[in-house]
Amino acid sequence: MSDEEQEGRDRRTSDAPVDLSRERETFVRQFLRKGVELTESLLVENRALVAKLEQLERENTRLRAQIASDDAIRDLIRKIDSLEAERNELLTRSTELEETRRESEVRNDQIEQELHDLANLYIASHHLHTTLSVRGVIQRLIELLQQLIGAEQCAIYLMDPAGGAARPVGADGVEVSDLPVLQVGEGPIGEVMMTGLARIQDDPTIGGTLEEPIAVLPMMVREQPVGAIAVARVFEQKSRWAAVDHELFKLLGSHAGNALVAANLYADARGALAALEGIDAHLNLSNS
Amino acid sequence: MADFSCLVVEDSPMMRQLLVFALARIKRISVTEAEDGVDALRKLAGARFDLVVTDINMPIMDGLKLVKRIRSDETHKDVPIIIITTEGSTEDRQRAMALGANAYITKPIQAPQVIQKVKELLQL
Repeated sequence: MSDEEQEGRDRRTSDAPVDLSRERETFVRQFLRKGVELTESLLVENRALVAKLEQLERENTRLRAQIASDDAIRDLIRKIDSLEAERNELLTRSTELEETRRESEVRNDQIEQELHDLANLYIASHHLHTTLSVRGVIQRLIELLQQLIGAEQCAIYLMDPAGGAARPVGADGVEVSDLPVLQVGEGPIGEVMMTGLARIQDDPTIGGTLEEPIAVLPMMVREQPVGAIAVARVFEQKSRWAAVDHELFKLLGSHAGNALVAANLYADARGALAALEGIDAHLNLSNS
Repeated sequence: MADFSCLVVEDSPMMRQLLVFALARIKRISVTEAEDGVDALRKLAGARFDLVVTDINMPIMDGLKLVKRIRSDETHKDVPIIIITTEGSTEDRQRAMALGANAYITKPIQAPQVIQKVKELLQL
């Protein structure tokens, strides 16, 4: 239907003036068009808003995940820090334990060395006093010098009762018969027998002779010199005096003379019980 | 009860005692003493030993002869042997090692050194 036909029909069906009807019609149409446009605009805007909402929701989800992830990272960082601190503590503890272990090892070595030294002293004392034979004491004395000190050449001198001279009574690395009688006060050995003071070179490797020994020890009985022990040389593998050597020197100096005196007294006795005869008198135990 | 048995061969009673003292510091080891090479062979014939510590200079049969005899003995041919002697020269050491000794210690002995060698040889 054309506009003219529509207008004719309108004229026939309405009592309103044609201009007003047309105006109304125009208005309605415009109104309706505007309504459609507005609706379409609203629909477009709605779709845009829906899209925006979806985008924001996605963004929100992503951000939530990000926050959760950040929290996890922060937790991990805290855990790493804690583990790092624990590791450092363990390292410190380990270093301390290692230090303690080293100290214990050193201490253990010292204890082993001390035990060895004590064993040397015990053996020296034991073997020197468990023989009551003069020859036995001399032999053991020489053996101690050789085995425990490492003496390659040594000699033992005993002073005569007058105390003016000393004769050799035992030796190793040299024949006793080749050794001279010494005068007390003369030469290194004679001086030691006079003073009662040991004479020991700092370096045992210098290699002495029995005229100039590297070590001379006085044999003392009740603070009186009765003889001397002289070490001329030590074995080539002995590079220095050990701490126990000085202890052994002291022990031999103070025990050898007593062992010889005891052995000499015992030699004239007819057995152990006979040697003990009359002992009560010395203990004030006599019943008579 | 001891896990290892050691034979100490030494003619000097004081050295023997010193070696026994040193070896007693090692747990799980028992020590048998012999006065010379012949005494050692008798004891080796009667028991199984895990280690022999022997002096070189001894009467009747010296340590070097003893090492040779041990190396030709079926039961003890592989037993570790430590030689102990007053001789410190390289030649003596080489002679003992050539005969089959596993280690060499010179006198005067130091117990810690003996203990260390024994532990090495017995892998303790």
